[in-house]
Amino acid sequence: MAESLNIENATVTIATDAQPDNKTRRYDRQLRLWAATGQSALENSRILVISGSATSTSILKNLVLPGIGHFTILDNEKVSPEDAGNNFFLEGQSSIGKSRAEEAVRLLAELNDSVESKADTSNLEDILEKNSSYLTSFTIVIAHNLDPKLLDRLSTLLWSDVSHPTLVVVRSAGFLAEFFIQFHEHPIIESHSETAPSLRLDKAFPALLDYSLSLDFETMDPTDHTHVPYVIILVRALEDWKKSHEGKPPQTYLEKKAFKEGVLAMKIKFDEENFDEAESQAYRCWTETTVPSEIASLFQYPALSSLSPSSPPFFHLLAALQKFTLEPPYTLPLTSTLPDMKANTTSYIHLQKLYKARAEEEKERFKSFLTVPVDDSIVDTFVKNAHGLKVLRGRKWGALDADPTALANAISTSSKQVAIHLSLSALTALIMKQPGVAPTIEALTQEAQSLLPPGSEFPEEFSDAVGEVARAPTADLPNTAALLGGLVAQEVIKMITKQYVPIESYCVVDLVETWTGII
Amino acid sequence: MSSQSASTSNTDWPGRYHHIDQVLNSPGPRTDPAFLAGDGVKDFLRHQAKILVIGAGGLGCEILANLALTGFKDIHVIDMDTIDISNLNRQFLFRTKDVGKPKATVAAEFIMKRVPGVKVTPYFGKIQDKDDNYYMQFNLVICGLDSVEARRWMNATLVNLVDPENPESLKPLIDGGTEGFKGQARVILPTITSCYECSLDMLNKPTAFPICTIANTPRLPEHCIEWASVLEWPRVQGDKKMDTDDPEHIGWLFSVAAARAKEFNIEGVTWSLTQGVVKNIIPAIASTNAIISAACCNEAFKIATSSAAYLNNYFMLIGTEGVYSYTFEHEKRDDCPVCGGEALELTFSADLTVEGLIEMLVEKQDIQIKKPSLSSPKSQIYLQAPPQLEEATRPNLAKRVSELVPNGGEVTVTASTLPFSLSLRITYT
Repeated sequence: MAESLNIENATVTIATDAQPDNKTRRYDRQLRLWAATGQSALENSRILVISGSATSTSILKNLVLPGIGHFTILDNEKVSPEDAGNNFFLEGQSSIGKSRAEEAVRLLAELNDSVESKADTSNLEDILEKNSSYLTSFTIVIAHNLDPKLLDRLSTLLWSDVSHPTLVVVRSAGFLAEFFIQFHEHPIIESHSETAPSLRLDKAFPALLDYSLSLDFETMDPTDHTHVPYVIILVRALEDWKKSHEGKPPQTYLEKKAFKEGVLAMKIKFDEENFDEAESQAYRCWTETTVPSEIASLFQYPALSSLSPSSPPFFHLLAALQKFTLEPPYTLPLTSTLPDMKANTTSYIHLQKLYKARAEEEKERFKSFLTVPVDDSIVDTFVKNAHGLKVLRGRKWGALDADPTALANAISTSSKQVAIHLSLSALTALIMKQPGVAPTIEALTQEAQSLLPPGSEFPEEFSDAVGEVARAPTADLPNTAALLGGLVAQEVIKMITKQYVPIESYCVVDLVETWTGII
Repeated sequence: MSSQSASTSNTDWPGRYHHIDQVLNSPGPRTDPAFLAGDGVKDFLRHQAKILVIGAGGLGCEILANLALTGFKDIHVIDMDTIDISNLNRQFLFRTKDVGKPKATVAAEFIMKRVPGVKVTPYFGKIQDKDDNYYMQFNLVICGLDSVEARRWMNATLVNLVDPENPESLKPLIDGGTEGFKGQARVILPTITSCYECSLDMLNKPTAFPICTIANTPRLPEHCIEWASVLEWPRVQGDKKMDTDDPEHIGWLFSVAAARAKEFNIEGVTWSLTQGVVKNIIPAIASTNAIISAACCNEAFKIATSSAAYLNNYFMLIGTEGVYSYTFEHEKRDDCPVCGGEALELTFSADLTVEGLIEMLVEKQDIQIKKPSLSSPKSQIYLQAPPQLEEATRPNLAKRVSELVPNGGEVTVTASTLPFSLSLRITYT
């Protein structure tokens, strides 16, 4: 399972020769996903959640349990009878009238002693005016159903500097919901890419080539013959092929077929599975190992051309990687992780050592391209996972709604998602204009229309979405809250641990038909 | 029932259901016209509906909390496990002081304390302990299990419960499952929609290492661990049963595996990996469980109230790259051994032995029956138990199936762990 980690990484900080300590045991099921590095990132994170609504506490529950460092709930409301009915982190009637932030924090903090928590009962508007550095001191800020005027100011503040916290905007009404992540850029170094890195059989490094040439397949002990790893078989077969084909690998269909037949003809017994494996992996010989286009495109990043010693280490690593790929063999650094293959222990371990030694050499060469000192463990991680490197680029909250043409275009590609988004945007606008008044379908439709270019058509799903919003405009349903709590917490964990890939803009949820979608 | 509903209403307060009532007081654009908005549906949900939750673990804790908050007041929960420290990163109804106690009991007490007026009845034991009469009392069943075997049992039991003459006998089954950032939720209407057994081939095949690799040519740390648990444990410890929850046993396996790894220059055997391999640990996090449980409970709420259409019938979520989900209708299989009614066609060589057929039944993705017993309409082919019959039928293992069953003939497959039998129609090549 590509998702589960090599446990070698997961337990680097703990003793490996004895039963793990209580903390490792408690977090065992998640360490198998994001390892000690992800856990330490979580433990260093500080999360601010604005409002103590059912959705907000559902999100926090899923962040407190895995062990974030700190959370604050900012909420100056008192617990209402309505709150006490739909929020698991309030104690029914006995919480009514008490501070919503304090009650929720008290009950959430019980979930994990190692998480620091704080209830803040001050007013967001005051903080925005007088103490904005308080807001920017967090790692991530999450806001649920926040007043649009305040949300606008908050998002502008957090967008104003690349070093400011990520903002997660969550909106929900009844069975419908959406959330959005505002960030500038998000590099993922320690990725869990499902595509395995190239073994580079087409460009065999000298020690690998020498070893494959040193073997005499014809006179070798028959038992050893059955255990030569396919990597060695293919490197040798390719080298022999190239000698008789002007140095070129098999190119045409017929040549490839002949090559595979040649590999199978090397068998001395019909049941040699290592040669069958070699035949099935033969494509590796004519698939040229190059720099994957997604990674090459990262080299176009503007930050690389204006690199200075103060640029973030990530860009220095990227620049070094680019220089590395400009020299032969024009590939990414070699991976030292070898997949399992038919072989006996000695031949497999020997091959593993060859790859490890070469990977180590290439890492040293990579380091020579670095112009600033970077922590060794970061370099290791970067090089090891270079094939899965990603940089996500986000947008400012509200950018879509401020651009009628973009909205109209989005309708043509994802109409049912945009139908829900428009309905929720209309609801937010209307609640601000007419607080306390139940929004009608007509009023909501009019608000939504004003976001689109004049004369545009609504998506066909709009009437369903807007009708659902009008049915339950202020309903924070426990199931919707819990589902959002899970989805948003997953994204926050992904943003903090920088291993799995978060969304780049809106995620829309319809719990009538039970689907999620992306705009 | 009436006294109970009176007592539960006393714990309600004005405004308690303000949020939920918005979707119960009026229909949405896609709500079925049969939905009766208002007091009737609220009364059913809060005073009549009886719901069963299978599992009080990662999904179960979430399911219980959601059901209680949405207004179900008569909830039963079954779980045979006790609380372990590794549950605390997600099973949020449990605290460190609860380690060692039964999950069902602790979860039930927590819910009743936190959500006033909700009655949660725990059963600390196995689902197989309960009979049809027990299952018959519920309107809905939600499964939050980590075991394929238990799901198959529950699914088959609810399918068998259906009596066409009695509409009350059809109990919707909502099933959830997670692994890491991935999960699925589905609605099963026994005998009407695709059932759990229909989709058995969607399961990932567990990784199995060939015995010869483990014994002779280990390459990976996992091979060394398998050597310790599969070969060395029975050799050295004899009949002593391995308990993968016993740290001493894991410690022994770890040291044996580590010694073998050292001998073969293999890196990477750790305590954690040893535990992961022998217990087949699946990564689990609170957030994914929250998503899947909420999806399950939302379906339960929609089915119980008709306030919106329910899922038809499968929701799959993958959170590793963005948020990807897929909602689709999984199709019923006519040859499903549980709900299909038709025999499964199986074609194999006339030379295949009974033993070979058994191996095939264990391996085949859409069958996966461990320890199957086989019989034909005329005779018993091979029975796993009792010992006398096993012994009597054992000579058949080496025989060819074609000696015992004619071409086009039927073979009935049963297993003690599964409450159904599978009919095979055999064709020889």
